[in-house]
Amino acid sequence: MKTDRYTPTSRGWGLYCLVLLLLLAICPAPSQAAEPAEIVCIQCHSALPDKLGEPVKLWKGSIHAENGIACNGCHGGDPKDAANAMSPQRGFLGAPKEKDIPAFCGRCHVGVLKDYLASAHGMALGKGGPTCVTCHSNHLVVKASLDLINEKSCTRCHSFERAQTIKSAMQQTENLIIATDTKIGSFKSQGVDTDRLEKGLFALRNRFHSLFHEVNVAKVRDESTQIMGELKKLDGELQGIEEARGKRKIAGAVAVAAALLAAMLLYLLKKTYD
Amino acid sequence: MTLLKRMYDWIDVRLGARELVDKELFGYLLPRNINVWYSMGSILLFIFAFQVVTGILLLIFYVPDSEKAFGSVTHIMNNVPFGWLIRMCHVVGSNMMVLVLLFHMISVLFMGSYKRPRELNWLTGFIIFNLVMGISLTGYLLPWSQLSFWATTVATNSVGTIPVIGQYLVEFLRGGKLVGPATLGRFYALHVAVIPLTIAALVGLHLFLLERIGVSTPPFGLKDTKNNWQSDKFRYEGHPDGIPFFPNYALQDMTSIAVYLAFFLAIVFFDPYLFFPKDAFIAANPYQTPAHIKPEWYFLANYQTLKIFPSEFLGLAVQGVAMTFLALLPFIDRGNERHPLKRPLFMACSVGGILLWIGLMIWGHYS
Repeated sequence: MKTDRYTPTSRGWGLYCLVLLLLLAICPAPSQAAEPAEIVCIQCHSALPDKLGEPVKLWKGSIHAENGIACNGCHGGDPKDAANAMSPQRGFLGAPKEKDIPAFCGRCHVGVLKDYLASAHGMALGKGGPTCVTCHSNHLVVKASLDLINEKSCTRCHSFERAQTIKSAMQQTENLIIATDTKIGSFKSQGVDTDRLEKGLFALRNRFHSLFHEVNVAKVRDESTQIMGELKKLDGELQGIEEARGKRKIAGAVAVAAALLAAMLLYLLKKTYD
Repeated sequence: MTLLKRMYDWIDVRLGARELVDKELFGYLLPRNINVWYSMGSILLFIFAFQVVTGILLLIFYVPDSEKAFGSVTHIMNNVPFGWLIRMCHVVGSNMMVLVLLFHMISVLFMGSYKRPRELNWLTGFIIFNLVMGISLTGYLLPWSQLSFWATTVATNSVGTIPVIGQYLVEFLRGGKLVGPATLGRFYALHVAVIPLTIAALVGLHLFLLERIGVSTPPFGLKDTKNNWQSDKFRYEGHPDGIPFFPNYALQDMTSIAVYLAFFLAIVFFDPYLFFPKDAFIAANPYQTPAHIKPEWYFLANYQTLKIFPSEFLGLAVQGVAMTFLALLPFIDRGNERHPLKRPLFMACSVGGILLWIGLMIWGHYS
């Protein structure tokens, strides 16, 4: 450690020490970057075979895992106490019966539950109709997208024809939402304040997703067109940011050229004195 | 013109300005074989001044409060006229300062300019280098982004590996058990007041030593490349047959600064994100650890060294020894030869050391 001479005053010495300590502390290491401890549900079930262990593997690839929603988020219980993790007194719910699945998921996805119950799928609940997990899966829940509407999945219950028509009507809007999201993400990673744009897109995406449970083709088309209009407004704003950035680059090119020209002139002037 | 001349005369009769200009500009002679590497110091002075100016401009809008810091930086980047440019200049400038400082130190190493009687020049320069690293680290926290928060968390954690007092030191640095508002307050005070003032004072001392001892002669293009300094009494190393600082070398300094500016502006306008990972634009979240936190490029070698050794303390100790060796180099290397090609052991160690540092940096980046 260095021992630089310094006349100590109580506060000044402390701060100076702090500088020196910082010099020692300049080497970040990853080891103690806190990783959240595994909850007891995962600790036990990971080691269990087949049906009891499978949910953990599936969950790890889900949107829930990505957003930090663990087992207890849906099934309740105490994730910190292995002995009482599955105690009803600690709020453990277990797996719901089939007819209770929509209400089970709808505790968080309130709007989606409403859309589902109003749809043909929801109206057939308890009469052989699909529940949330039929299309979205139970543990490997992936981010909702139009990919969920596919021939393989839909033809388990009915023909794909109408679903195909609805999907086609929504595809363009879905593509624009994805493109807008990517653009916003790209600007955000460059320090652009995208808060308002993100909120706007979030609202539009939710509005659009509410159509996912709609089977009225005309309504889907009409609503998609309106959402497209709103998305184009957002896209216009993003293009404005893009253009401003283009102008900055032109200004940058001029500044760099000016500096290089100055360097050349100064060099030639120096040569006249050499 | 007459007015200017009258003003100059007014000052001259009071301060002896003409004599000062004649002595320090036209009469200040430098070695004939002086090269472009000698202008690194002037570039560094320019960068430091530029950092101070952009830093002051940022201070106008920055709020050193953990609740508001990230928002204030976002405001600077998006709403303040040319705020983005000022911040980019400050961030890119801080990286450039480290880079040019490294070039400056390497040129001093290879030209043997650190040797007697310039031990103090080297030592002050070395301390400035460490302070520049310190000011970069403290500045890293101020935007209060995910990157700031977690980089500071892991950096301050390292101090905890020091036996006995480690944990106390961590708390002392952070102002608490965890990185939080108290850490921001401390780092802010260090970044905007303590370290810059110390750097300014040391730069003044560095320049005073340069002026007092005289500019070293480069060992290139000469028959005698030995250091002929005699330790019996103080002697100023003058260059009576040299070239004047003004206008000759001042023009070289200005040329170098203009070339630097072109390079600097190219990064600022075309790829400033070279120095901004994605996490730099996400507000700090103490409850969400980002997947990969990597330090800035100039700390990557230190970072990788810590990972190589079985214990972090050992890694820190090795770096401490290496830094102490570098700091005391003029007192250890007491040979008279200054030409690098006539110092094979020095060449092997220096080139090997630089390659090792670059290798560790690349390894750290990809690890």
